[in-house]
Amino acid sequence: MSDARHEVDERWILRTELLWAFGVGVFIAAALGMILFTALTISVNPPSNVERIDPKALHLSGEFAEHNLGTTVSGDGTVIVRAIATQFMFVPQCIAVPANRRVTLRFASPDVIHGLLITGTNVNTMVIPGFVAQVHTEFTRTGDLLMPCHEYCGQGHSEMWATVQVLPENRFKPGSDGRVSCAQR
Amino acid sequence: MRNVDRLCLAHFWVAFGAFLFACLIGTWQMWVRSPLGANIGTPGQYFMSVTAHGVSMAYVLTTFFIMGFGYFVAVTALNRPLPGRLWAWAAFWIALLGVVVTIIPIGLGKASVLFTFYPPLTASAWFYIGLVLVVAGSWIWCVLMLVAMSAWKREHPGQPVPLAMFATVANAVMWLWTTIGVAVQLVFQVIPAALGLVQTIDVGLARTLFSWTLHAIVYFWLIPAYIAFYTMVPRAAGGRLYSDTMGRLTFILFLIYSLPVGMHHLLMDPQHGNAMKFVQVLLTAFVAVPTLLTIFTITASLEIAGRLRGGRGLFGWIAALPWERPMVLATGLGFVMLGFGGFGGIINMGYGMNAMVHNTSWVTAHFHLIFGGSVVIMYFAIAYEIWPRLTGRDHMSLAPLRMQLWLWFVGMMVMTLPWHWLGLQGQWRRVANFNYADPIIAGWGPWVVVSLVGGFVLLISALLFVRNLAVLHRGTVVAVPRALYAVAVHPPKRVPAALNGFGLWNVLVLVLMVLAYGFPIAQFLIEPSPSAIVHRVR
Amino acid sequence: MTMSQSHERTPSDPHVLDQPWRLWATVAVMSTVLMGILLGVVVIPVVQGRGAGLDAFTAICRALGLLPGSPAQPQPLDRTPPTPVSQVVWTPDVLQILARADIAKGRAKVQEVCIACHGEAGVSPSPDFPHLAGQSGAAIYKQLHDYRTGSRVHPQMTDVAKALDESTIPDVAAYYAGQPQRNLNPVTLAESPRAIVNLIELGDPSRNIPPCAACHRAGAGGPIEAPVLAEQHAEYLIQQLKLYASGQRRNDVYARMRLIASRLIEEEMKGLAAYYRAGFR
Repeated sequence: MSDARHEVDERWILRTELLWAFGVGVFIAAALGMILFTALTISVNPPSNVERIDPKALHLSGEFAEHNLGTTVSGDGTVIVRAIATQFMFVPQCIAVPANRRVTLRFASPDVIHGLLITGTNVNTMVIPGFVAQVHTEFTRTGDLLMPCHEYCGQGHSEMWATVQVLPENRFKPGSDGRVSCAQR
Repeated sequence: MRNVDRLCLAHFWVAFGAFLFACLIGTWQMWVRSPLGANIGTPGQYFMSVTAHGVSMAYVLTTFFIMGFGYFVAVTALNRPLPGRLWAWAAFWIALLGVVVTIIPIGLGKASVLFTFYPPLTASAWFYIGLVLVVAGSWIWCVLMLVAMSAWKREHPGQPVPLAMFATVANAVMWLWTTIGVAVQLVFQVIPAALGLVQTIDVGLARTLFSWTLHAIVYFWLIPAYIAFYTMVPRAAGGRLYSDTMGRLTFILFLIYSLPVGMHHLLMDPQHGNAMKFVQVLLTAFVAVPTLLTIFTITASLEIAGRLRGGRGLFGWIAALPWERPMVLATGLGFVMLGFGGFGGIINMGYGMNAMVHNTSWVTAHFHLIFGGSVVIMYFAIAYEIWPRLTGRDHMSLAPLRMQLWLWFVGMMVMTLPWHWLGLQGQWRRVANFNYADPIIAGWGPWVVVSLVGGFVLLISALLFVRNLAVLHRGTVVAVPRALYAVAVHPPKRVPAALNGFGLWNVLVLVLMVLAYGFPIAQFLIEPSPSAIVHRVR
Repeated sequence: MTMSQSHERTPSDPHVLDQPWRLWATVAVMSTVLMGILLGVVVIPVVQGRGAGLDAFTAICRALGLLPGSPAQPQPLDRTPPTPVSQVVWTPDVLQILARADIAKGRAKVQEVCIACHGEAGVSPSPDFPHLAGQSGAAIYKQLHDYRTGSRVHPQMTDVAKALDESTIPDVAAYYAGQPQRNLNPVTLAESPRAIVNLIELGDPSRNIPPCAACHRAGAGGPIEAPVLAEQHAEYLIQQLKLYASGQRRNDVYARMRLIASRLIEEEMKGLAAYYRAGFR
């Protein structure tokens, strides 16, 4: 191309813009395609559980009453963790989960908006008063993980965190009531 | 000639005053939560500061700058006086009153709910009322922009509206659409709760309404930077705009696709199912398109400039560009930051990856880089470009301007890149003090300090910026009149009404909003979420 | 000549220029959003539902949030019966009742029942009985109800509370809440120990302890039932912290005070009690 040429033809401009736009379209389609592909093949989803629950009476409810919190293994082997996010503590403060097994975590808040993540895993959800937040995951590595509250919930937010103990199969032993507590260290 | 000089300057000084204040307290925040500032500052002070920083940067700097810039464009691009100038001044005073009314409760500790307000945490009612006043002032601005464009079109039937004004009005239209969400949330939910008229609040609905505003507002902030890209940078570089049509299309794409995508801020929320989340993620992918198109069009425009200045070879035109001019330098630095920040945005959009970064420092890093970085650096460049025209005084030397822009760029990269890394490691947000004794958190300490250094550099840059503008008010060099706006390679003689007005696009926006937000909002009206008790922060 | 012939359309006529734009823009925008809806509302949930053994209708309802659960996973069922013990629930009705309380009736009842231990002005003569002057009305209301239901147990208060008429409880609470705090026997701390002030203002993230002020300072935005601690008997505060730490007192909702108290050491309990006793808020 001649370097001295600085008058660019209208059709040339249109062609180059369309070519670039085509490239942009391919890129966008690829990004969306990946999202669609993972959604269809391995069910990668944002948390999708719209389940209403009254935050004001949470401590009276069956499922989220204080004595029902923690990890439970039900008769058919499903592992369910129930925890409360409240100002300014997760209850229970230590959660025991098995490694390499499907775990369902259910959270509720009796007061304000909280949020949580578990470091090194794909568990990340908001906890909105009025709804049960539910995530399904599988923990692949044993050890202690940090579960902080990651959404502003008031002045005690910085001190709000829990520990998740990922136990190997041989140490994850439910009691007769199906409950598993953290191993004391 | 212009009847808006003082009007623009008033808006800009409020904007940049808030900006400087926010930089100061932002640096304090970073220090307090770093290992160097352990046990200094209470959470009460920290969250008060975060609220003030967020409100100043997100609501005051932006709204006032955009209003002032809009008036300037309406007069200079359309070459006619601003219609309704008294209304413009009224809008300024209403908005400024709103700022005062908001900042007082924040300073008294009665409004530590952050700039994204987290109902059921509820601040003093004045906090919200002040913000409503700011928005009200900006609505008057929107109407004036529409009136100015309509008046020009009547006087120039069949002619294409100058691109700078077309884009400004696109921005105004988008702002009117997007503020509906937060206005409804504040007027019908949050302010009644703050006044004590109700004791509970439907949090799911409140968050959904706020998300309506949350995405398009960042494009409201971003479009002035893009106006500079399309209409000022090619002229500053000594070239021409590669395609005027592409410019119009870009702003139209922003208008359409930045509105029905707010739910991507709620991807981890439990009040919506994954069906509508996917729909809005798909639409989010399309809002990436105008940015990608812009990168090509502006780079091509710069290439024209470079080759006109004698640049040869595949990349020789880059060196030939007049980098000593602040507008050109800012664009180059801005594009680098846009690259990093935009890439981060694409990651946020993919919800598998979003789950790894939601509410971690990655998010903080992303919006500081893309807004604080690429957008605000263009605000600087715009200010440097038009201040001489407003004050009649020119810069004595461009060196302090370039120094300030470089400092901003370096500071922003040094501050935000470690934040991205920390976010990937799980460092979470809105923390007044970390437990650096914990082994995981201890490992983050050094990176937090690096970020803090970046923050200090930004503070110096902010101070230098204000100085560079202030000196012009008593400057001695008289400003030489120069052309401001770029000319396209092929200036359009006629454009279709679709590229000259917003009738068609408003209809499409309405359809999109109904399809994207209709059901998600309606579900709360059909079956309200169990409401939560208000927690008053007083 | 007809009207249509006199207005012949030329290629540069804006209406003609505009038509392809109107058409294709609408087609483009509508096809993107409709494709999104087709994929998001129908295709993805149905395909995912198949993997989880769900029929298409259930999967789509779950994806839209009309039914709880994910379209891609089975939903756990919980059949735990609700807790039979009735405890205080902060509903708008309860808050209304508190706001409309009758202070005169409250004074009358106080003079009849509470005055011996808690004083008429809410200043108690002995550390066995807490000061109630200026205490949060919501806190008093909750404690009285918890005594009635057995959520909190005390040799004297349980019977006293049970004997009270339900309707006078808000009145009593409002009366004491309105009494000014008067620091009898004020104690000035020689110094504010740094460690104690830090606990109150900053908490201790390593022990999961939020700042006391985050809940117990008025206007902090914390739990509604958090009591005012300022100017309270130091011995009473220490006693309550120890009861929480041992688990004997269990009426803090979701065990927050039990967890915090169990992580405090004796010196800290004493220091905190002395700090609040001296009147700091």
